[in-house]
Order: sequence, then structure tokens, then C-alpha cells
Amino acid sequence: MRSKFLIIFLSFLLCCQVVLAADTNEQVDTHEYRLSNGIKLIVREDHRAPTVAHMVWYRAGSMDETNGRTGAAHVLEHMMFKGTDKVKAGEFSRLVAAVGGRENAFTSRDYTAYFQQVEKSKLGDVMKLEADRMSNLNFDDAEFSKEIQVIMEERRLRTEDNPSSLLNESLMATAYMSSPYRHPVIGWMNDLVNMKAVDARNWYESWYTPNNATVIISGDVDPLQTLQMVEKYYSGATVHALPVRKPQVEPEQKGIKQVQVKAPADSAQLVMAWKAPTLKPDMIDDPEPYALELLSAVLDGYDNARLNRVLVKQERVVNDINVGYDMISRGPELFMISANMAKGKTVSQAQESIRKALNDVIQNGVLESELKRIKVRILSEQIYKRDSIFGQAMEIGTIEMAGFSWRDIDPILERMQLITPAQVQAAAKKYLVDGGLTIATLDPQARKSADKGNQ
Amino acid sequence: MKAVKQIFFTASLVLGLLQSAQAILPIEKLDSVKGAKAYLVQTKALPIVDIEVSIDAGSRYDPIAKSGLSSMAAELMSFGVKSSQGVLGEAQIADEIADLGANIGVSVSGERATMRIRSLSRKDLRDRAVLLASLMLSSPTYDEKILEREKQRSITGLLEAQTKPEFVLERRFNKAVYGNYPLANSPSVKSIDAVTVGDLKKFHKQFYRGDRMIVSIVGDVTSAEASEIAQALLKGVPESGDAIPSLPKFERSPVESLADREINIPFDSQQAHIAMGMTAITRENSDYFPLIVGNYVLGGGGFVSRLMSEVREQRGLAYSVFSYFAPGKDAGIFQAGLQTKNDQATLALEVMSTTMAKFIENGATPTELAAAKDNLINGFPLRIDNNRKLLDNVSSIAWNGLPLDTLDVWTSKVQAVTLEQIKTAFQKYLSMDRMKIVVVGGQNK
Repeated sequence: MRSKFLIIFLSFLLCCQVVLAADTNEQVDTHEYRLSNGIKLIVREDHRAPTVAHMVWYRAGSMDETNGRTGAAHVLEHMMFKGTDKVKAGEFSRLVAAVGGRENAFTSRDYTAYFQQVEKSKLGDVMKLEADRMSNLNFDDAEFSKEIQVIMEERRLRTEDNPSSLLNESLMATAYMSSPYRHPVIGWMNDLVNMKAVDARNWYESWYTPNNATVIISGDVDPLQTLQMVEKYYSGATVHALPVRKPQVEPEQKGIKQVQVKAPADSAQLVMAWKAPTLKPDMIDDPEPYALELLSAVLDGYDNARLNRVLVKQERVVNDINVGYDMISRGPELFMISANMAKGKTVSQAQESIRKALNDVIQNGVLESELKRIKVRILSEQIYKRDSIFGQAMEIGTIEMAGFSWRDIDPILERMQLITPAQVQAAAKKYLVDGGLTIATLDPQARKSADKGNQ
Repeated sequence: MKAVKQIFFTASLVLGLLQSAQAILPIEKLDSVKGAKAYLVQTKALPIVDIEVSIDAGSRYDPIAKSGLSSMAAELMSFGVKSSQGVLGEAQIADEIADLGANIGVSVSGERATMRIRSLSRKDLRDRAVLLASLMLSSPTYDEKILEREKQRSITGLLEAQTKPEFVLERRFNKAVYGNYPLANSPSVKSIDAVTVGDLKKFHKQFYRGDRMIVSIVGDVTSAEASEIAQALLKGVPESGDAIPSLPKFERSPVESLADREINIPFDSQQAHIAMGMTAITRENSDYFPLIVGNYVLGGGGFVSRLMSEVREQRGLAYSVFSYFAPGKDAGIFQAGLQTKNDQATLALEVMSTTMAKFIENGATPTELAAAKDNLINGFPLRIDNNRKLLDNVSSIAWNGLPLDTLDVWTSKVQAVTLEQIKTAFQKYLSMDRMKIVVVGGQNK
């Protein structure tokens, strides 16, 4: 187990001694190496089961795209399965399947990642394939033409026919005027329609280079043998310079922004989103992001948290409500509250109730007991997380891509435990203000359907 | 030649696995508690314990006019209980769960209600989580006001869901495929509205009892501790109760003309959502392995199935296309599906139908069978590499009444499947002239 502090804090919070068998093992279970071509390798040992997760993360996501080519990062993610000089289209997945592997890939605003999960003796087989497509991708135009159709179907499925996604898309495009976070990861439909194979190839040539890649391997492996294997397969990948990343810092917002979306739905939806700070890798003592993280849990972190208790159960003004804030991010961040209206209630009634609940925090602060409850949950969830070998690789990859080190995971949790009610109140007061607020509402339209239910 | 080599290779792997692990999943059968069977898998690496109680109280027992009753009965268990210290309200229950750093969740599927508890394994913490769960199982208060609120929330959720093509598709498909079996029914505004506190109390008394429950435990506890947990969980639960009327027989989808089997629902979404399927097998069926190995080839194998190749890779018609068997304890179906933009719906449906018909008629090729076995056998360790997955497996074995060595012999059963068995089994259970087809979308035909 990685650190003692989890256990110490849990003991403190639960007012008694916690004895954890696994904690007596003090050996360091995470190892970091750097290959001469710039690849960073992180190995997390977990010997509970004879399986391993192999991931490659490229620090290039939709935030690195340019106008007219939104969606390029995600399109390339699809094309990575469409053949290299040696492995023909579709063969990658067949070879991974043959060794019993589970595989997929995902693209976010901040990064693109590829993974396979296999029985441990098969690690070399999948690593060979993954290393090959780091440098030798070679798909033809016909494959691109079919795959871009698949991606447009994906956009229809996830966004065009999904009113909550449409609302979220408009919210982001309204909240940000300069930051590339204003574009959806999957890209605007018109950009997909006009995307060419050369756009995907250019993306690959720009960003898929070992000095922009982090390999993360978790599971039942020996770190030094794994390093040798990674050197064997990945050290041939050739380095080239990365494009210059412009900061594209979002200008300060100067007042409320509002946007309305009409889409097929039954109830209205409301999203309120405030510009909020993120944790910076060189300033992990900054209390504000932690305070906002805890505030989001005070509002929505468990069944009896404030917004659910008051708005859903007592006032019955919304049917459900969610708070989102993630202090770990490459780009800017929003503190976001989303709600579906209860029957017969309006978005202005919901907005009023949300504002009342937030004002209560700003005026009167939060209770020590609420914070303590949330801190316990954060620590217990951190222990539950280790049940998943894949989840551990995910956690490391996410924080690395945001510019932190995996070594920061524990210090960050530690600092979270020290935040006081006064700091939470101060952060709410500073950031949950109208000057940085964007409001998006879904105005429901009747969906034309012949299905009248089965009453 | 290649196929022969692969089969030899995988056979030696199976032997290796069986030798290295005496029992892949050492399931201990604990003493029954109040007629409820109880099982344990000990894992010591993490200081956590996962507990599941399966209750034979699924939505198939909903009276048709009160469809939604079983879900409401389960959900409201966490919104108020009677304890020896008086009533605990929903806020107190939620706060206590949060304070313990535990999770307690309840869900209801067609066959069963499921309560899942995850706690740190330290005795004082897990005891409190188990006590709370036991009160939920035995003594829910079913408060009138909370029921009214939750009915309203549920109705609002249903009205929203009815605007979504995937929900409309699933509801109509279930209605078609389950026929006279009660899983054909789904909640309506009227049926949810009809549920009363009296109904909840009656349903709970009737179904939440030891002889309808199974307890599965995975994690950092000894056999003795696990037995204590099972006993504490079921402390207030009655052992048995009145006889429950048996359900209608699950009848095979009949041969019908296409017009009688196909339902088109106009819907102004950009994509048409398509489902196709029919009744199939239950989990204990001896043809289970030929069917799952065969389905890997047809539509189960991630990016490498025939449906994926025909619909997505070759024609770019859909993002997602799949087929699966969903075998339950008493009823099971086969289902295939995809989503595509409206003007391609007819073409996509045709490609899917042709691919399925060809597979049912001719089965898999030797190369495909070898590839399926390679994947399923080599990938077997990924099915049991954490506590959550172990719990899923133990629970499935217990619920379906399978032998406790089910996972120990799993790879050898896959290995034994032949081409002939796949073809015979697919032809025995599936037939294109029995397939129900539902298309939700516009401009089809």
C-alpha cells in the first residue's frame, strides 16, 4: 500500500485505531522511468491477480485542436485501429482479442489514451502492437471515409439525439469565448463532415511522438523486467519536436451569460456554471481548489447532502440535481450545478432555491461535521479504488496528463484533509458570484412519436 | 494448420491455469441462515468487504396494474427503518452510511432485487453497516409522504425517458419478446400512481424473507466472521411466509409472418434504433457454452465480431452493433441491436438480418472458433481479478444454482465446444422467422 497517511487520517477521523493488514507492507509499489526517446514509464505493482493493464497516454486532446478541425483528436483515436505498415486494418483488434485482451481507447479535452487488459504473460504481445502504432500508423483513404461515417453516427447517438448533451455543448460554447474548451471533444458536425484523411494524418504526425507519451502499466508485474520490455518495444520510436502550444488563456468574464436550447424533452433542465480555479502543479498548497472540491461534496457528495436534501426531498423543486467540479485539469474549470425540474416547477424556481442554498454557505458556512463526513468518504473511496487494477492506472494517467506527478496523489489527499469550514466558506464567497456565472436552460419541446406508452 | 496449432496452444494454457490454481475461485458454502444460502470468497489484499443479498423479488412479481411496485418497495427501504432505538429517518440513514465510509445500494431487475454493501472490513465499521442493512431488509417504515414524493419523481423520470429513442425501443422490445411472461410489462404513469403504502408493506412481507434470499460475501473476513455477517443481516427477516402463486410459463417466441413480428415506431430522432431478438435459454442450460462461444463470433466479440465487421467496419453504418444472450434463472432471451441515421435504417436492418441468418444456418468457421476460444480462454483471468468481479461471479453462481466449481471448469467447457455444437445449438434456439424486430425512428421503408 502506498502510504501510511490514509490510514492515519482514517484513524483520526473514525476516532480509533485502524489496523490494516496490507499496510504493514512498506515497499514502494510505484516506479517511474524515462526512456532516452522521452517516453515516461510508470509501473504500479499490484500482485493480487495475474492480470495487467497496459496504457499509453498522449498529451494531446481536443484542447489542442484548431478551428475547422474540431474532433481531429477523436477521429485519430478511431484511425489508430486502421492499420500500420505491418499490421493491416482491423488486425490490431484481432491480435489483441487472440491473447484474450480487452481493449479500447478514449479521447478527452486534455489527452488521448489507449489501453489493453491482459493476463500477465501476454503483456509483451500487446505492447509490441501498441509501440508499433506509435510510429508506424498507415491507414488508407478508404478506411478513413468509412470511419468518419461511424464517428458521425457516434455524434448522432451521443449528442444530436441527447438533449442533455446538446445543453452541455451550448453551455461550454457560451462560458468560454477563447479557450478551446468551448469545442466539444467529438467535434462539431460540420467539421466532421468536412474532415479529410490528411487532417487525421497531420494530427498524428504532430502529436504522436514518444516525448509526448506516457506508458502506464499496473498489475502483477516486476518493475525492472517491465522496464526492459518497454525499452525493447518502445525505444525504436523516433522523436520529433512538438508543435508550440499557445496558452489561449480565457479572458476574465465580466457578467452573467445565458443560453437557451430547445430540444425534445419532457422537463426543463438548468445548468449553472461558475468559472473556478484549478490546482496548479507548482502550487499544491493553494487551499481554494480543495475547498471547492469539498464544497461540491457538501452540496452533493452523499444522499443527504444539502442540495439533494433541500431541493429534491424538502422543497421538491427539482427531480434530481448534480454538482460537478474537478480541480485536476489541463485547462480551465467550471463549478457546475445541473438539475432536472420536478413536475410543474420552473427553472426560475430551481435557480432561486439553488441560490438560497449557496447563500446559506456563503453567509453561515458549512458544519465541521459535514466536512468530517466528506473527508471520511474521500479516504474510504481511495481504498475502494484499489480494488481495480485498471482504475489505478487511470488515476495515475489522469493526474500525470494535467501536469502533476503520481507522487502528488497522496500529498493532495493529505492537503484535502486539512481544509477548514472557514476556507470552504471563503471559496464559495469568492467564486460563486454572478460575474463568472453562465446559465444554460433546456426548453423542452414535444417529441413527435407514435408510441403512446403501454398504459 | 493454423487452427490446429492454436487449439493445441490454448489447451496447454488451460492445463497451466488449472495446475497453478487449485481452485480458481474457492467458494466456501456457509451455514444457511433462515433458509437463505450463504457463500464466501476470502480475499485478504485489501481491508474491504463486499456483501450482496439477492432477493427473489424482481419486477416479474409486479401486478400488472401496479407495475413498478417491486422497485418502489426496494428503493424505499433506505428511506426509513424501525430500530430498537425508534425510527431512523432517511436523513439519519444517509448520514450514517456516509459517516461509515460505506456504500449501500439497492436495485431491482426482472428476476431479483439486489442489495449491495461495500464497507471497510474493520469490525466496528462493517458491523454498523450490516446493522443498517439488516434494518432495511427487515423493517422499512414505508412512509406515506415519502412514497408520494418518490412516485412523483418516478413518474417525472418516466415521462422524460419516454422522449428517448433507446428507452422506447427497449420497452417495446421487452413487450414483444417476453409475450405472456410478466417481464413483458413495464411501469406506466398510471401503474406507478396506483402503488399504495399498503401495497409496499404487503409486497415486502410476501417476498423479503429468508427462503427467498441468498447472501454472497467477498473480502477480508474469515469464515466465522462471514457467518456472523450473514446472521446479523437476516436477523429480523422472517424465515418463510405464505405461498406465492407461480408465474405464467415462459413460452418460446412463435413463428410469425414478418408483418406480425415487426413493429415500426415513427420517432423524430436523427437515428433509428433497432432491436431484434427472441426467447432463448436459461443459465443452467447445457447448451450455454456453445451459444456464448458462438455469439462471441456473431456479435459478442468487441471489435472483431461478424456484426461489427459487416455493419461498422465494412459499411460504416453504425457506431455500436452487438448481439448477446441474456440467460436468467427462469427466462432468457437473445438480442441484437444497432443505431443508424434514419435513411440507412432499412439497409442496416437488412445487413444485420442477413448476417444473423447466415450464422444460424452455417455456424462459425474453424478459424473463427479458434479465435473465439483464444479470446475467452486467454482472457479468463480478467473475469476474476478484483473483489467486485468475484462478487458478480459468486452471486451469479448462487442465484442460478450452478455448481460451485463452475469457474474452475469454465475454460475447459469453452475449450470443448465444437463447430457442430454451435450450429446445432443456434438452430435449436434461434430462428429468423421467430425474431421480433422493433425499429424506433423515422423514414424506415
